[in-house]
Amino acid sequence: MSEPSVSRPRRWDKPFSLEAGSEQEMTDAGVEELLQQPPFSEIDASGFKRSLPLHDILKNDARIVGFDEGDIIVRRGDWGNSAFFVLSGTVRVELERGESSLPDEILGRRRSRVKSLWESIAQLWRNHREPEVRAVAEVSGSSPPLQTRMTRGRTRIYLQEVSAVLDKYRTARLEAGHWFGELAALGRTSRVATVFSEGVSQLLEIRWQGIRDILRHDASGGLKRYIEDAFRERALAAFLRTDPLFQGCSTELMQRIVDQVEFQTFGNYDSSKPFKELNSNPEQNLESGEPVIIHEGEVPRGIIMIRSGLARITQQYYQGRRTIGYLSPGQIFGLDEIRTSINSSSPLPCQTQLSAIGHLNAVLVPAELVAEILQQQMTTQNGSEQSKESPARQTVKIQDEALLSQLIDRNYVEGTSLMVIDLDRCTRCDDCVRACATAHDNNPRFIRHGPVLNQFMVPSACLHCVDPVCMIECPTGAIFRDLGQGDIVINDQTCIGCAQCASNCPFDAIRMVDIRDASGDLIVDSKTRAPLTQATKCDLCIDQRGGPACESACPHDALFRVDMQDAARVEEVFAR
Amino acid sequence: MKQLLIQYRYRLSTFLVLVVLILSGTWLYSLTLAKTAFASGTLLLTCILILAAYQWRKKLSFLALGNATAWLQFHIFVGWLSCVLFLLHIGFHVPDGLLEFALFLTYSFVFLSGVLGWLLSRIIPYRLLSRGEQVIYERIPVHRRKIQETVEKLVSDSLKSEEGTAVADFYHKHLEDYFAGSRNQVRHILHSRRHRHQLAQRVVDLQTFLNEREQETMRQIADQIQLKDDLDYQQSLQSVLKFWLFVHVPLTYTLILFALFHTITVCAFASTSG
Repeated sequence: MSEPSVSRPRRWDKPFSLEAGSEQEMTDAGVEELLQQPPFSEIDASGFKRSLPLHDILKNDARIVGFDEGDIIVRRGDWGNSAFFVLSGTVRVELERGESSLPDEILGRRRSRVKSLWESIAQLWRNHREPEVRAVAEVSGSSPPLQTRMTRGRTRIYLQEVSAVLDKYRTARLEAGHWFGELAALGRTSRVATVFSEGVSQLLEIRWQGIRDILRHDASGGLKRYIEDAFRERALAAFLRTDPLFQGCSTELMQRIVDQVEFQTFGNYDSSKPFKELNSNPEQNLESGEPVIIHEGEVPRGIIMIRSGLARITQQYYQGRRTIGYLSPGQIFGLDEIRTSINSSSPLPCQTQLSAIGHLNAVLVPAELVAEILQQQMTTQNGSEQSKESPARQTVKIQDEALLSQLIDRNYVEGTSLMVIDLDRCTRCDDCVRACATAHDNNPRFIRHGPVLNQFMVPSACLHCVDPVCMIECPTGAIFRDLGQGDIVINDQTCIGCAQCASNCPFDAIRMVDIRDASGDLIVDSKTRAPLTQATKCDLCIDQRGGPACESACPHDALFRVDMQDAARVEEVFAR
Repeated sequence: MKQLLIQYRYRLSTFLVLVVLILSGTWLYSLTLAKTAFASGTLLLTCILILAAYQWRKKLSFLALGNATAWLQFHIFVGWLSCVLFLLHIGFHVPDGLLEFALFLTYSFVFLSGVLGWLLSRIIPYRLLSRGEQVIYERIPVHRRKIQETVEKLVSDSLKSEEGTAVADFYHKHLEDYFAGSRNQVRHILHSRRHRHQLAQRVVDLQTFLNEREQETMRQIADQIQLKDDLDYQQSLQSVLKFWLFVHVPLTYTLILFALFHTITVCAFASTSG
């Protein structure tokens, strides 16, 4: 019997422009036309590999998309997979950031609403006995909520009255020749603004894989410069000022810092692969899997401030390296060495080594400028107070280095709400699971079982990662970061059950479940008769009055949630 | 740890202050020649109702009623306080009436089962972590069944190899019953490993009579014996943690019923009893 044989799928078997929602197929002529105009004409095509020419990248990783009046192009808080270049027409960027911004309902998001006191108590008898019950109307899309329409072959959320929105909310206009969305796509962060079309517009959308390759091979560095300049111009100063070190900087000094900062990128950007590899083989790390940012014994050229991703701090220990801490976004490495160097005649080399876990973006602030800031602070009257480290800035350290190492190797340091059970206190009463079930229509959203590190068990529950790779490939944006709390939640109304999030999650914290109607019957697809599935996960009881029910239900203080980016909290809970 | 110590000291001081206040209040009240039993009884009934409310807090975990840890600490605190009130109420002697005696016994059992549960919840988690895989209680039978199947397969494979029946005979004589269900529960609770040692010794004794292949099979079976024993250990201790509540909670409701009946009776006959 012969084995079934198919040709191995290749990267560009399905060009981006053939995916739903594209205006037209990218043709050779269309690409040539693009290459004639800036910024593409400024890219040096000679540096690209023969197997990966610029022309083919644009042809396969880019597409032209059209939008009608009011169509939402990207939503604030969504995960960015692509960048946009305005070819024609005008788009509007929402400038407001607080409560005055566009409300969730008109952006097609589930309204986060905390249950009333009565609704909370009624859960005791109103919860369904059958598992995973959904309202059929919501699943079938016949419930009213979203303002959606078919635009050029794609379902889009739109703003009904653009003029009224423009009157009410502050926006900026972007016209042909402008880029947007590139920082979120490349920085692995959520979109910081909502962008919608004002009138009819045509945009070139490039998926991040394409931008990544252009950045890698463009010898002239035109696009890279553009993206770096955009970050420098739009966000760098605000990012630096999140650290107390830069808060007292004069405008003139800050401008010099902004001008001289270097951007650095380390590690593999590809989807969730690095995290999954780390999880499947915790032994393989450091030398083999983690690119070194600063070697032990090297004199630092400046301080490293992490923009996105996580970094491991290690020290030589006999023939190997011992993990002694880690850094998360916003934290700094190398400051102590520079501070000590100011008072000594020779520069102090690093006592530890910094390496990137997975993909990492960082900025390097030159040592001379840091020395200038420190000297300025020392001369000011309250200098000593300013130089104190805030808890968020400290390197995350745990006295038990073996435990720390395991937490990093298993990538639990990604968690902003990591569930941990102290087995020395846990009486296995299951009150946490029962409370979770009560808060979720009798469907517990975690399993009280998982790896045991020392006496701490990490159950199978969503970590609410700082870099949630589960969100990367969700086609409908059903899994999103709640704008209020930053928690990652799933909107049952828009989850199509594709399981991308579940397969991307390195911690197996997302489960696909067959859904049922109120009478307990499985809801099936009208054509195939196959049961419909949806993704479910811990949502930190976002709609409950008392916060995460599991945590407050534990009578022995054994179950706790911990933000692994919060150095003081991590130290406190793991030292108990 | 330092913070925990401070908390304990704070709780103990508060408890002692309250006990002194209750004792001096009772003494001062007795100077008026009034019956202190009414006051202590009312306070005791209130304490019992507060103690029972903890069970309801557990059911309303989704409400912002404070975390269960704080409630449990308060529950324990009030529990000890109720003991002082109870002793005052009964005048430090065993009551002789039938209802009063039943009430005395019920309270004593509820209190002692509470203290026992409190001790168990402090001791057992450490011991659970010391042995075996951390298995969810409801899934223990599934794991045990898997172990049993593994051993049975090893035994049947040894028979297929036509090298003798020593392993199978040993299994039927010493292990069949052992693998059939949970065993040595009391020994596990008492932290005794005697049964395990005995079984291991029997395996060692047999090894000298086996060929190389059979020895390997016995080694694998010995591993499974250890796994099964660890599983039994987990089940026994987890059972204790779960089932003490089945004594404590129903007795609490019985106590409330008796106490209410006692209160009604006392109030009804208050004028005649003086």
